[in-house]
Amino acid sequence: MRKYVLRRLLIATSSLFLASLVVFSLPRMIPGDVVQLMLEERAYGKDLEDLRAKLGLNRPIHIQYFEWAGRVVRGELGESLWTKRPVLEELGRRLPVSLKLGLLALLFSVSIALPIGILAAIRQDSLADYVARSLAIVGLSVPGFWIATMVILLPSLWWNWSPPIQFTEFSVDPWAHVSQFIIPAFILGIASSAAIMRLTRAQLLEVLRQDYVRTAWAKGVRESGVVLKHSLKNSLIPVITVLGIQIAQILGGTVIFETIFGLPGMGRFLFDAINQRDYPVIQGVNLVIVSVVVLMNLAVDACYAYLDPRIRY
Amino acid sequence: MGTAHPRLSPRLTRRDLLKAGLAAGATLSAEPVLAPGRLWAQPKRGGILRVRGYDPPHFDPHQTLNFKTNNTLSFVYSKLVRHKVGAGVTPGTFTVEPDLAERWEEPDDTTVVFHLRKGVRWPNKPPLNGRELIAEDVKFTYDRFLTEKANPLKFMLDPVDRVEVVDRYTVKFRLKEPFVWLLNMLANPTGTWIVAREMVEKYGDLKRAETAVGTGPFILERYEPNVKTVFRRNPDYFRPGLPSVDGVDWLVMEDEAAQLAAYRSGQIDCGPWHQWAVRQQDLAALKKSHPQLAYQDFLSNVTTGIYMRTDKPPFNDVRVRRAISHAVDRRAIIEAVFLRGEPTPAIGRGLTEWSPRIDQLGPGAQYYRHDPKEARRLLAEAGFPQGLKTTLTVTGGYGSDVLDSFQLTQRQLKESGIEAELKVQEYGAYIATTFLGKYEGMALGPFSIAWEPHTALYGMYTPEQSRNSGHVADAKIVSMLKQQMRTKELEARRKLIFDIQRYAAEQQYYVYLYSAMFTGSWQSSVKNYAPNPSFDYGNRAAALWLDR
Repeated sequence: MRKYVLRRLLIATSSLFLASLVVFSLPRMIPGDVVQLMLEERAYGKDLEDLRAKLGLNRPIHIQYFEWAGRVVRGELGESLWTKRPVLEELGRRLPVSLKLGLLALLFSVSIALPIGILAAIRQDSLADYVARSLAIVGLSVPGFWIATMVILLPSLWWNWSPPIQFTEFSVDPWAHVSQFIIPAFILGIASSAAIMRLTRAQLLEVLRQDYVRTAWAKGVRESGVVLKHSLKNSLIPVITVLGIQIAQILGGTVIFETIFGLPGMGRFLFDAINQRDYPVIQGVNLVIVSVVVLMNLAVDACYAYLDPRIRY
Repeated sequence: MGTAHPRLSPRLTRRDLLKAGLAAGATLSAEPVLAPGRLWAQPKRGGILRVRGYDPPHFDPHQTLNFKTNNTLSFVYSKLVRHKVGAGVTPGTFTVEPDLAERWEEPDDTTVVFHLRKGVRWPNKPPLNGRELIAEDVKFTYDRFLTEKANPLKFMLDPVDRVEVVDRYTVKFRLKEPFVWLLNMLANPTGTWIVAREMVEKYGDLKRAETAVGTGPFILERYEPNVKTVFRRNPDYFRPGLPSVDGVDWLVMEDEAAQLAAYRSGQIDCGPWHQWAVRQQDLAALKKSHPQLAYQDFLSNVTTGIYMRTDKPPFNDVRVRRAISHAVDRRAIIEAVFLRGEPTPAIGRGLTEWSPRIDQLGPGAQYYRHDPKEARRLLAEAGFPQGLKTTLTVTGGYGSDVLDSFQLTQRQLKESGIEAELKVQEYGAYIATTFLGKYEGMALGPFSIAWEPHTALYGMYTPEQSRNSGHVADAKIVSMLKQQMRTKELEARRKLIFDIQRYAAEQQYYVYLYSAMFTGSWQSSVKNYAPNPSFDYGNRAAALWLDR
């Protein structure tokens, strides 16, 4: 196991290296020059060359990359070109918001998908199965941002109520803090839950047809034991794999949801940074997102052995 | 500072009621003598005003013309003079009244002397430590305004030669030439806030939020980028008893649906759109579901229009510019996108006193007629029988409605043979380049705002000015502008301003399109407030009070 984790960590490191190359070079390919924007709008330097030199953008791109990578290894992500605030400090405030939203969305996703997926599988071709499958199709096809807009608009029209727009810190009001994540996380979790629900149903149906399950039925094991103890665990490996991929999608979705629900997370931070060509911020945020996704997938891989003891690393 | 009003006891006895009745009777009988206002006009202290705000790109008033910076700074800074605020103000009127200057005089045509209020203090924190605001501060501010290389608003005070300190509380503006608009310029809610030398010396510039320290009604307590700016009452504010509210939460709200929902559900106190208004598209439904809210219509003082490189072919030909004007159906744009509004001359229709109706524009009025056939004829006459191709630079930064109007304009131009490729820039890049005349072909957007007529005309028509987005160089219009700057008699000046707009309509250097209708709205608990299309949200917030 330890060997496996080490090997996976090595692969993760190389993934991070490749990702760092991409996050460093892609923002520089966006049309529009940060130096020109800064110089003309806000007079940060004497002229273009002076400002380029001040920001260190006049050197060859590979030198800039190695300098940045060196700082990243030392735990520095640089500072915003505009506000001069350290990116790490800003991330320290914003990452928890996005993580809370993402994890809560994941929790909703799993809590909705697994029970419905199981129900649909054990009651195959029943009314419950058809309803569950139809809901899954709806969940997959209706865009999350549309649901979010409706959730904000309709209650305000019908009952003069809308989700809170002012972000409340945990230290100010813990309940208000948690409750402001519930609605966006629920909506964000819906699309993801639809995919997981369908996969759970399909995998469980396959396992339920295995010989050892038939033997369990023949031995008189109760339905809950057959499904939950003997079948579910074995059908979950592909589901967990997809869950790992869904994490990346959920993190991507936070950009829109943070804007709609006024949550000061990484998504909005990244969006503004892209608009302003704030390279250190774009690089820093993307690197953190990539790292979270890589680590979560590593954790998913490590789960396999728990779910199926036959798996040896 | 005024004293807080005593709270009413939660339990009322008969004795209390009797006392209250007697007191009310006495007050009512004495009211015409004591206070010529209405009884409800007694302001209550307290409460936090929650409103839609903006996230400024930075906080330096002398390095940008970005409205988000100026809106935000209006809470913390004061000016020598300001525009009147409060419930009695008619939208579209901008009456100059004392702010830091308690009075002023004009000993001759090129000198204005301001006498400052005594005892105005900067906030009691380093490096200012509650010291008194003095004439040196005013001189420092305007020296910086006039010499800061990056200040795009310098043109506003072009006629100012120098600012001199006479004594601790007296400051003298020496002018290069007579300039009747000086007071209006100093009341202008963009860039004219009085700043402190110590802050500039400590931080190098005023870009950081920490530097936003002034003698205004509020103190910037906390700035959370992209979330909100929290303002709290300035305990040392020089207007006794103000602000009535304890503070203002200036909330960044990007999503239009979320903005409206927040207003409907009472989470914000004033309209959720720009100028604390409600979008016309949402107005009918909101009025139906929330008749208890206050609503007040006012025309925008912003002109939106097409500007072009008039220094280069083909736009240096007046026939081409007139063809463009004929190509655009202003009414159709207003009705399709903004629902209500008016076609506008050079001064936005919202500045009612100085903006003539289109039918008052004389011969130039004919070019406001939508006439694609005439547009094609003029183009052919100018040497473009097959029409012409160009670019139309715009920004999405003004919101989806304005972007829709751009697309509609593009389509209308095409119908008259002007194929304009739409080039969409981000707001920052647009303001930095296109807005300041760095573009090719044509551009389209809101491009002038008027609190008096001078700013909207002088910057746009004077050669070498950064606000001259159309690169206009016309000696006649420059001479008319100079003449109105020295004309003291109001009616004669108004005639000149109208004549300039008539001439501008004939020349079509800028193809002015429309001024949209706004409907300001606020909760019934917000008192002593009237909307006015201005960046000075701070003084309006300081004047109002909350009856919650």
